[in-house]
Amino acid sequence: MVPWFFATNENDLDDGEMKAVSMEGNKILLVRQAGGFYAISNKCPHMDCPLSKGILDEYAIQCPCHDWRFDIRSGEFLDAGEIKVPAYETKVTDGKVYINMER
Amino acid sequence: MKKVVMYTLSTCPWCMRAKKFFREKDIPFEYIDYDKADEETRKSILEDCRSHGEEMSFPFVKIGEDVVVGYNPQKYSSLLDL
Amino acid sequence: MDTKKRKEQFRTMFQRVIDPLGYKFSPDEELVDFLLEQEVMLEKERGSPFCPCQGLTGERKHDMQLVCPCIPFHREHFDAMKRCWCGLYVHKDVDDPDELVQISKKEFEESKSKG
Repeated sequence: MVPWFFATNENDLDDGEMKAVSMEGNKILLVRQAGGFYAISNKCPHMDCPLSKGILDEYAIQCPCHDWRFDIRSGEFLDAGEIKVPAYETKVTDGKVYINMER
Repeated sequence: MKKVVMYTLSTCPWCMRAKKFFREKDIPFEYIDYDKADEETRKSILEDCRSHGEEMSFPFVKIGEDVVVGYNPQKYSSLLDL
Repeated sequence: MDTKKRKEQFRTMFQRVIDPLGYKFSPDEELVDFLLEQEVMLEKERGSPFCPCQGLTGERKHDMQLVCPCIPFHREHFDAMKRCWCGLYVHKDVDDPDELVQISKKEFEESKSKG
């Protein structure tokens, strides 16, 4: 079974908006940007700060604690690509946004 | 004898080792802990470090006209003809 | 939270960050313990576990790049020394950290331009 989980309604997020959702015990940051939906872990890999409280700038989310920046599409840390937050696949079906929790 | 002046941090083990080095060699030195200094002193240390093309890395050791950034006993010795 | 517990948390969190970058905690346990203790104190006083061997200026952009582990922001320089500035972290292949010397930022830039 493909592990797609319902996250939110498509209309709940405007472009450039984000929210934290809880999925199967994982804290996920869901972002709508330029029409697409992106899902990454909400925990900064540095000191576990919630990225959802950070600042979104195009495809970069800046952690509120120490300003580490990540690409919401790949989860990559912009200053050292070897460091990543887990990124998850998303899809929209019938106005509902789903996240694939299998990585 | 060349004058030895150091900028240091109270939290930095390499600064402590640098001080120990000069004490053991009986070389008089002055030092300022950047993190414990007042605003004005901090500003002048920052300007001094940057004017030497360096970042705020400690210890910052001035031996006469020369500058050594970091704990480097070999360089300290050679500049002081020890 | 007590210092000992926070030091252990730093070890766990920072290990995750430095490992993919090719670094490990220095084998010099005494140095590691001392530096982590300073970082716990810096976090209490200044809000973040800043590098104990580099100076803060009060400018956020500058200071945030000195929060431990600061390797990502000084990568080339630290790779050239096989250690970070304060020596808390060393390259994974380093067995004897005492053999490594601090090379200042300026010396590093000069050696780079000489090739």
